Amino acid sequence: MLVAVRALPLPDPGTPPLTGPIRLLWWQALRQKWILLTAIALGIVVFVCQAVQPYLLGRAIDEGLADGFGSALWGWAALLLAVGALLITASAIGHRFDVQCWMRGAFGMSQLVGRTVSESGDAITEELPTGEVVSAVANDSLRLAEIYAIAAQFIGSLSAYLVVAAIMLNQSVELGLIVVLGLPAVALVLSFLIKPLQQRQSAQREAAGRLTTLGADTVSGLRILRGIGGEQVFTDRYRVKSQEVRQAGVRVAGVQSLLDSLQVLLPGIFVAFVVYIGAMKAIAGEITPGELVAFYGYSAFLGWPLQIATQTLQVATRAHVAAKKLITVLRVEPAAGATPGTAPLPPAGAPLVDETSGLRLEPGRVVALVCEDPDASAAVATRLGRFDDAAELATPVRLGGTLLADLDHAELRGRVVVAEATPQLFSGTLSDELDVHGTATREDLLAAITVADAHDVLSSVPDGLDGVLPEKGRSLSGGQRQRVALARAILTSPEILVLVEPTSAVDAHTEARIAVRLAEARAGRTTLIVTASPLVLGEVDEVAFLDDGVVATRGTHRELLDRPLDAPGGESAARYRAVVGRNLDADAAPETSDTHPGVTEGAR
Amino acid sequence: MKLPVADLREVRRHTSGLMRSYRGPLTTVAVLHTLAALGGLAGPLILGNLVDAVVAGTTESYVIRVVSIGVAAIVAQAVLIKIAQRKAMVLGESVFAALRERFVETVTSLPLSTVEQAGTGDLVARTTNDVDRIQHAVRFGVPRLIVAVVTILLTVVASFIIAPQVAIAMFVGLPVMIVVTRWYLRRASPAYQREAAAYAALNGTITETVEGARTVDALRLARRRRGRVDDDLREAFDAERATLRLRTVLFPGIDFTFVVAPVAILVWGGYLISTGNVTLGAVTTITMYTFQLAGPVWELIFWLDEIQVAATSLARIIGVELVETDRTPSGEEPDDEHVVARDVRYAYREGQDVLHGIDLDLAVGERLAVVGPSGAGKSTLGRMLAGVHPPTGGSVTVGGVNLVDLPLEDLRGHVALVTQEHHVFVGTLAENLRLADVDADDEALRSALGSVDALTWAEALPDGLATTVGSGGHVLTPAQAQQVALARLVLLDPHTLVLDEATSLLDPRAARHLESSLDAVLTGRTVVAIAHRLHTAHDADRVAVVDGGRIAEIGPHDELVAAGGDYARLWESWQQE
Repeated sequence: MLVAVRALPLPDPGTPPLTGPIRLLWWQALRQKWILLTAIALGIVVFVCQAVQPYLLGRAIDEGLADGFGSALWGWAALLLAVGALLITASAIGHRFDVQCWMRGAFGMSQLVGRTVSESGDAITEELPTGEVVSAVANDSLRLAEIYAIAAQFIGSLSAYLVVAAIMLNQSVELGLIVVLGLPAVALVLSFLIKPLQQRQSAQREAAGRLTTLGADTVSGLRILRGIGGEQVFTDRYRVKSQEVRQAGVRVAGVQSLLDSLQVLLPGIFVAFVVYIGAMKAIAGEITPGELVAFYGYSAFLGWPLQIATQTLQVATRAHVAAKKLITVLRVEPAAGATPGTAPLPPAGAPLVDETSGLRLEPGRVVALVCEDPDASAAVATRLGRFDDAAELATPVRLGGTLLADLDHAELRGRVVVAEATPQLFSGTLSDELDVHGTATREDLLAAITVADAHDVLSSVPDGLDGVLPEKGRSLSGGQRQRVALARAILTSPEILVLVEPTSAVDAHTEARIAVRLAEARAGRTTLIVTASPLVLGEVDEVAFLDDGVVATRGTHRELLDRPLDAPGGESAARYRAVVGRNLDADAAPETSDTHPGVTEGAR
Repeated sequence: MKLPVADLREVRRHTSGLMRSYRGPLTTVAVLHTLAALGGLAGPLILGNLVDAVVAGTTESYVIRVVSIGVAAIVAQAVLIKIAQRKAMVLGESVFAALRERFVETVTSLPLSTVEQAGTGDLVARTTNDVDRIQHAVRFGVPRLIVAVVTILLTVVASFIIAPQVAIAMFVGLPVMIVVTRWYLRRASPAYQREAAAYAALNGTITETVEGARTVDALRLARRRRGRVDDDLREAFDAERATLRLRTVLFPGIDFTFVVAPVAILVWGGYLISTGNVTLGAVTTITMYTFQLAGPVWELIFWLDEIQVAATSLARIIGVELVETDRTPSGEEPDDEHVVARDVRYAYREGQDVLHGIDLDLAVGERLAVVGPSGAGKSTLGRMLAGVHPPTGGSVTVGGVNLVDLPLEDLRGHVALVTQEHHVFVGTLAENLRLADVDADDEALRSALGSVDALTWAEALPDGLATTVGSGGHVLTPAQAQQVALARLVLLDPHTLVLDEATSLLDPRAARHLESSLDAVLTGRTVVAIAHRLHTAHDADRVAVVDGGRIAEIGPHDELVAAGGDYARLWESWQQE
């Protein structure tokens, strides 16, 4: 290996300034200044080597070839080879540094985005669409860093341009001026085409993006499509959109081909002009034939810095846009625990109280929370989890008398774990994804799997516990995912565990088994299960019935079922029976179409 | 079941077929580019000519004449490039459009059983990633490749015409170039694919983290997720370092060729000049040609590499065409609406039967609930009864005709499989509904929506039925999406429905509200409900308990409860009263 590349990612991506895109770009540049400066130095060597080649060639022709086959020719040839060797070496090492420049920037930014999204909680999805965050890593981090990769070439070609201009000015003021003034003029003319070209390109990209979305959408719904028909409608629609993309491509082709053509024509005319002046001077004896060749060489070479300058302009624009987008992502602050805790954590065994509903979780009890509206009971559980400090100012929850918002966020998470109704699985080996804090033994894992009745998952993931789950656990069925998430929650083994609808997607046989085992596994430890399933309710120590936002009554499932109407809390018990009973018999449900979700949710 | 991937021979056959169908435009483009490249040869030729003229002594008018020819050549080249490049790009767009349209057509006509079994992940990847990956090669690669090859060939030929003895020296570095390029190309594809996979994994990690932000927070996974990003970056770094290593060999190898070639031409040319065989001008021209070759050679190597990568994507795209059809209509017409299963067996893997000879006779208009533990074969049985898969043994018939012997359009009118999976297609609400009946008028759509209690919200949408829904459009709630699916069923109007609740909505809240909508759809049809909520079983005319691929118990709810079997025990734990 010519030059060792420092291993990435770095342990610490640093704390970037988020006040502006230029500040961010400059900050990253300073963080990698040594590789950036090395790359630039090498870039200068490469381009200057290229720039002096025509000069050496011209001298070789004049002093070598013209004087016949002799030592002078060998000398110039050796010098050309030496410069060539330097060029090859500097170019190969320079490329390595260019790529390092890019990687340092791109990986650093990706790490920063990764850190932000890992710690933001809900805030990230509330403030930005997922697609935008993913594209921050997929595109913006990479685009931003391109500016560091092209810096060496840009500065190198700029120096080459100056060197050539100096040589030519030295040899002929006229030719020198043509180069100094002519090339920027050519660049200017070409730059007029860049904008319309980019507009058409982005129009086509957008059309192509829509087409890809349409294709992906069709395929995602393919089961349905094949089940009920309508394929022809879809292929026809796809074809129409596909032809639109083609048309947009044809519009790009118009400008692109013009640009390609001008990129030949303008530098070509420029070279012809230089050759004409040069030849005139050669006839007049002002310059030698070798110098004429050198002039041709310079002017042909200068097309290259020209291209790089245009490219750099585009890269810089993109980097600026990318930096702006990255800043919006990096600015997202966590919804809960953005500031450090102010109060000490209460001792173990402290009760957890939701003041709004009056729900009080006494240590060591397994409690179920039931409500006619599952959203209302889930909302209580969410409050217990302290997911959004600002939103929950008005609905205080206290652990041992201290407001959750005043406690250290991370330490609180170790004590109270709220597993929500639609928890997400992550890709990785099954055992790793179950034991997220790496504290469980093999036996613990298997025990938790037994509680969640998830042994079937072991056989559907190749290699069982050591097998790999794909992204979001996609290979598992909905019920399997729910049971794996349940096992995962159990394994966190917190002092207080809150489970929201943990068995909603499993069949009755399985639910019955889970209910018994779960109550056993959490016996003597504070647990809240939000559910309305009688199979689960029958197994818990106590049921709290939430009516109109407050806990209306408590008792065992059995007791609530048997409580007479005229006993204290009898009316609430009757309502409880109506809610729980609906799960037994749909016809008995008090619900009518006036609470239809379509109407209420659609109107939101 | 995995979707097939085409082998190299199939890819070649397909590509050459494609080339043949575009032979005319391809030839035009090649000819135009050849002419343009001829114009590009003028510069060095004129320079050499002028060098000789200056050495021999010449006049101003000669210089003007020669330079004018040069300018004319440049103008001609520019005009030809304008035309050729446009034609080439238009050709690329056409070929790519045809390719993707054919692919989507193939995908949408895949056999039912393939679609059910293969899942959509692989297909979505092929539709997006693979199609994207070949687009670059087809749209830009093909035109650029033509230019590069033509330019290289013409430049070499021109050099040999001008001074064959000198031109030989151009090839002095060629062996190194060939060895290095072959070395590189053999390793490049897998290395760059690894790189792409590494970035895809990184994006996947970020997507997971963002979508599961709540879970990450709730379970204190932040450190793990950060670590995962770093792991992905580490892999991306290793992949980058591997490709960098390849380029660290390739770049100097090619650069070497273009450093030694001009020097060799100079020295060898110097010798030939001294012996009087060639002129200084000829040596100058060929030296300049050698410099000019560098661009197209780099382009050629770059595109060879890209095209290799594109070929693997093409193999996956063509692969979809290799799926064989799973049914051939026999032309028989069912006598009635009576669905019967006889000794149905099914094995996903040979020798491992999931269903062990199931007999089931569905009375027209009855409701049968199928219950049983997970993995008992309930869903598989459902797919057999809906004619999705041909059974490996036994038969499922409607009116005496095998379900899989019916043309698909007819099958849909007899039996439909309804899962909890719902998908709102991008398009208007009306378009979403018309999938089931292309000719349905707005009134029919309204009435279908009305029968599933969905008309109120549908008419309250910004543009009513013409509102664009689905990804990027108006977002429907899961319950609304499910109602749309049910309304489609009303339009499709099959006499038998197989409801599979196996992948029930995770969120029980929406599910509860849907029951009345569902009831409207079920009325008047034969229904097989694969249930995991027992009240469904309680309401059914008959209940079948499936266990271990067999029907363990079957009969009306009350009879099964009275019989005191498994079902009765389960029911009691539910009842508790």
